[in-house]
Amino acid sequence: MELKSIKDAFDRVANKQKLSYTKTNEIVQMVSQEIDKALSILKDSSSPYPTPLDHRSILAGVKKTFAENSPVNQLEAAEKELNVALTKYPKVLEKQLNTDIAKAYRNNVEFDTHIVNQIIANFFYRQGMFDIGDCFVAETGESECSTRKSFLEMHQILEAMKRRDLAPALNWAISNSEKLKQARSDLEMKLHSLHFLEIAQDQNSQEAIIYARKHFERFLESFPETQKLVCSLLWNRNLEKSPYSEFLSPALWNNAARELTRQYCNLLGESSESPLSITVTAGTQTLPVLLKYMNVMANKKLDWQSMEQLPVAVELSEEFQFHSVFVCPVSKEQSSDENPPMMMSCGHVLCKQTINKMSKNGSKSSFKCPYCPTDVDISRCRQLHF
Amino acid sequence: MEIDPVTNGNTDAVMTETAATITPSPPVPSSRLSQLTESLKLEHQLLRVPFEHYKKTIRANHRCFEKDVSSVVSGVGDLADNNWSKDVTVSRLTSLVSRLQGLKRKLEEGNNVENLQAQRCRARIDHLDSADVENITEWNNTKLKRILVDYMLRMSYFETASKLSESSNILDLVDIDIFREAKKVIDALKNREAASALAWCADNKTRLKKSKSKFEFQLRLQEFIELVRADTADSYKQAILYARKHLVPWGATHMKELQHVLATLAVKSTTECAKYKVLFELRQWDVLVHQFKYEFCKLYGMTMEPLLNIYLQAGLSALKTPYGFEEGCTKEDPLSQESFRKLAMPLPYSKQHHSKLVCYISKELMDTENPPQVLPNGYVYSTKALKEMAEKNGGKITCPRTGFVCNYADLVKAYIS
Repeated sequence: MELKSIKDAFDRVANKQKLSYTKTNEIVQMVSQEIDKALSILKDSSSPYPTPLDHRSILAGVKKTFAENSPVNQLEAAEKELNVALTKYPKVLEKQLNTDIAKAYRNNVEFDTHIVNQIIANFFYRQGMFDIGDCFVAETGESECSTRKSFLEMHQILEAMKRRDLAPALNWAISNSEKLKQARSDLEMKLHSLHFLEIAQDQNSQEAIIYARKHFERFLESFPETQKLVCSLLWNRNLEKSPYSEFLSPALWNNAARELTRQYCNLLGESSESPLSITVTAGTQTLPVLLKYMNVMANKKLDWQSMEQLPVAVELSEEFQFHSVFVCPVSKEQSSDENPPMMMSCGHVLCKQTINKMSKNGSKSSFKCPYCPTDVDISRCRQLHF
Repeated sequence: MEIDPVTNGNTDAVMTETAATITPSPPVPSSRLSQLTESLKLEHQLLRVPFEHYKKTIRANHRCFEKDVSSVVSGVGDLADNNWSKDVTVSRLTSLVSRLQGLKRKLEEGNNVENLQAQRCRARIDHLDSADVENITEWNNTKLKRILVDYMLRMSYFETASKLSESSNILDLVDIDIFREAKKVIDALKNREAASALAWCADNKTRLKKSKSKFEFQLRLQEFIELVRADTADSYKQAILYARKHLVPWGATHMKELQHVLATLAVKSTTECAKYKVLFELRQWDVLVHQFKYEFCKLYGMTMEPLLNIYLQAGLSALKTPYGFEEGCTKEDPLSQESFRKLAMPLPYSKQHHSKLVCYISKELMDTENPPQVLPNGYVYSTKALKEMAEKNGGKITCPRTGFVCNYADLVKAYIS
């Protein structure tokens, strides 16, 4: 795509618009000058022959000037030039961009408006846009979103963290300590570390040591950084020039906030990223592939409205890969419960059906691996679980 | 206490480790770049709509100036050709002058409006230009909000649409005014009034004619039907007069429909004859609303469907796997949520050409950097996760799904092509 050619084409339009405006202005000016001139002659009482014949001849003069200059024709000419640019710009857009992104749309699928609206309301609350979420719920007449209360609590905790107030976050983490441990999250330790550092900065080392004694013990085993935290007290008055200057980094706060969001959402049974934004971003990555496919297949009869699987593979970014998918490199089929992945003695993996085929349904006790020179013993193939 | 000098002062790295597992390392930039370029190509509507608006303003202004100038010029001609007294001539000329003054003002105002609209067109080009690999997350966030505003405008949720655009500072990137114009027409049609729709047709006459639209004809037919429905002696006469004036011009191209509707003069609105009964149904007004939306979107170069639905369909299909519908599916997958599952139900599954393995423990991709290792019981995890586990547990590995215990040395590497 050439954004520059779009820009250039638009500049042309804007220039012609300016020209056309100037020209129109001139024409109106000219017309009004002619009339003004005629008027002032007519009004001039000192004129020696104010006879009817005379004022008619003046008007005839103006009429003649108009006939010669033809302001209307001039206007038309100015518009014509502008029109050329105006017609051209959409053509440039059509050439550079996908004109109809609905080409790969299933028309027979109608989304339930209530579901879509609930998803949107949920999105606003999750992002902390409570005003807009409430306004949306009121305007659409949807029922109140069940997650609003929880997200409100989450954002109050996060807001407090922004003000460097860790109390609500710590309260939440401590009351969910067991669940966080199960999720193997170090959030509690992260928050305690931040609190410790705050105390050391704002108050004194003694207070900090008291805090450490009270809260760090549980973490001494699994979190070696407690050593560094305590040691940083030695440079308490000028941490920025110490080996521990990282403890001043705002990244620590951001990481803790991110981890809190993630854990809070997980305990709520929600994903850590907004599912709406994941889906729309995935859609942004998918549409170009589908549109290209539709263009290539334009002449083929395609049963787009009813096919069970997309006809083309879409490579989404890694962050959208939520499940292990095994595709047999020989048969190109996705593995399933009936056709599971099997590892051969050499470490290469095929699916069960392919192995059956290669061993002629077990009538041969061994066959050659398609990827290396190993002779594969069927009895030593084993099923994998990803 | 001895502190390892290497990790000393490197606490940040340790503390951010969990964060690093959430945001995957960026893949090859060139693929990201081409992906970005491809995604910008989807933004035709963003650039097209304000331009159509701009063009419409320019054309309308121009038509108006041309009309005014030519009427002033012919006014002078008339004065010259007629034998008026001097006083009359002066007063006529003076009124022409004041008309020209008005024209100058209109020209100035028109130019201001045109400039504002040009600015809006430019702001959108600049917005596309501002997208790059570094700020793509933020850019996509804005994009999602634009898509949501588009959805709200099409659903007539104007209040939230304005609020969201204002608070997100994207007023230049959304088309609230244009949809307000449409809403007036739609509301009128829902009240069974065709006048504003007809005015809209007159406004966009050339464009509609070019695309061979028969929307105006359909509106006229409906007005005719309403006259027949009124069922008074006078209304029949009016209906005939109306048909002579407004329907006959369409006769050349749409004779069949014209005859069909005209025949209603011979029946009552209560007719049971299916062929005519349908014409009297009030549902016809909804058909007109639908038809108007179609013409409106087409005129401005918009998609017929809300952008949100288009993006959701594509995204849901690409994310739809049989695993998403299983019990215990990871919460990170949008399809683990009931609402997304319902939307995805009628859509096709995604297709995979290559294996993509995600480690059950770390949720990281298993590739050549972090290859999959097989436990003796056939369960597969990533090297990184297993190594970490072994280091913490004195070389022992415990399968998190089966409880099977083995040594790190018992693992075998699997080759996935």
